[in-house]
Amino acid sequence: MNIFLRELKANRKALIIWSVCMFLLVLSGMSKYTAYSSSGQNNALFNSMPHSLKALLGFGSFDVTTMSGYFAMLFLYIELTVAIHAVLLGAGIVAKEERDKTTEFLIVKPLSRTAVITAKLFAALVEVFVLNIVTLVSSIFMVDAYNKGADISGEIVRFMVSMFIVQLIFLSLGAALAAFIKNPKASGSLSAGVLLASFVVSKITDLTDRLNMLNLLSPFKYFSYKDLVEGGGLSAGIIIPAILLVAVLSALTYFFYRKRDLNV
Amino acid sequence: MNMYLHELKSMRRSTLIWICAMIALAAIYFSVYRGIVSDAAGFKRLLGGYPEPVRAALGISVDSITSLLGFYSMIFSFITLCAAIQAMNLGTSVLSKEVRERTADFLLVKPVSRSAVVSAKLLAAFTMIMATDVIYYLAVSLMASMVKTSDYSGRIFFLINLTLFFIQLIFLAIGVAVSVFFAKLKSVIPVSLGVVFGLYMIGAIIAAGKDNAAARFISPFKYFDMTYIIKHTGYEPSYLIAGAGIVIAAIAISYIIYVKKDIHAVN
Repeated sequence: MNIFLRELKANRKALIIWSVCMFLLVLSGMSKYTAYSSSGQNNALFNSMPHSLKALLGFGSFDVTTMSGYFAMLFLYIELTVAIHAVLLGAGIVAKEERDKTTEFLIVKPLSRTAVITAKLFAALVEVFVLNIVTLVSSIFMVDAYNKGADISGEIVRFMVSMFIVQLIFLSLGAALAAFIKNPKASGSLSAGVLLASFVVSKITDLTDRLNMLNLLSPFKYFSYKDLVEGGGLSAGIIIPAILLVAVLSALTYFFYRKRDLNV
Repeated sequence: MNMYLHELKSMRRSTLIWICAMIALAAIYFSVYRGIVSDAAGFKRLLGGYPEPVRAALGISVDSITSLLGFYSMIFSFITLCAAIQAMNLGTSVLSKEVRERTADFLLVKPVSRSAVVSAKLLAAFTMIMATDVIYYLAVSLMASMVKTSDYSGRIFFLINLTLFFIQLIFLAIGVAVSVFFAKLKSVIPVSLGVVFGLYMIGAIIAAGKDNAAARFISPFKYFDMTYIIKHTGYEPSYLIAGAGIVIAAIAISYIIYVKKDIHAVN
């Protein structure tokens, strides 16, 4: 419990900064909505445009003139930001004891390594949850302020649930990498590299249908946001494997950390 | 000179990884180029059934983005994102790593002035960026000539790739300037990723659309407008000056602060 509280306190300032940034991101994103909604696309023609061309022109696959389509476009940036937070948090929370040369103070306490990791992962879980809620609340209020059409709060909640799962994937990925990599300083860069690669993969697979297999490598592509915009729910066929992935990555974190040769 | 060589050696591996990653990224994009050109051909046939104004509005942009230069300038934004992260990491870590790795006292007791230390380190980072851009340019022009479906202007292609160097310089300078303000920077990645992605999103969200001449000054990613370069075979002078101003100011600040900075031997 002490470790849990200690971690929450250590990350408090960073979490506040991140929350403010998320609020500002949603605010600035929504303030551009009026410009998009009034531009008026030719819809029939727009829909017949090949997928790859739409991606190149920067529309993505959403109709940005409607509120839910616009939010889906903005959501990709929101998701990227919180994913960066999650992966750095996951890597940092495991690696920082060695990085800051405090391992020996922690490990000599009468606690198993499993208990240490459990406390740290729970602290990280609480933080990504807080960030998710902050984003959810600011999105609902901001969207409401600009929305002239139908209420999309239900869709926003579904978006945020999917985002929470993506956050968990990156959190456990960062933690597993940090537990596995020998050099505690490299874990942050490596997990950020993995995140960047999966972001780029998600952008490349937008361009062509032939590389869809690559989407497996990119958690940004696990959920079909097109279905969410059209009012569909989250499919259990995606959520369950995604949760399993989180479970496997967390198990790997325990497994590697228990056997880890800690640098003092 | 020793400091310069030492820095080069310590940056060598990460620079090599970044170069490979950027070239691989460009290669993946170029590999889908032919497919997009054929997609576009089908779409243009479909456009024939639409009234003239619609055709004029969409047809032009379809033509220009499926030309090799148009396509490259679209995918180039992800390349610049990677390059900016590389440069910002380099800039943020080059001065701060001495304190972080507890080697500051070994370096600063040497009979060289602090400004000589800064100069050597900056020069080393600059060399690495030059190397990255030259190798990347050679690789990417080879790939472009392999996948091209019609001829393109080599001069414009060069001008587009040169912006990579300018953007890297700006982020390198920002990185150095940011790092001298921290007494001890525990970890480089959160700072550099925060700044780069922050400016990238500002560029993508705020500075998008029309009437944004002033907003574009906020994000260096928006200093070089590809459509303008392709059209005029040159850069917009006001943004070029703004970029140079940022680099000069940031480097001047770094020197001034680092020379007087309190650096603890053990902390």
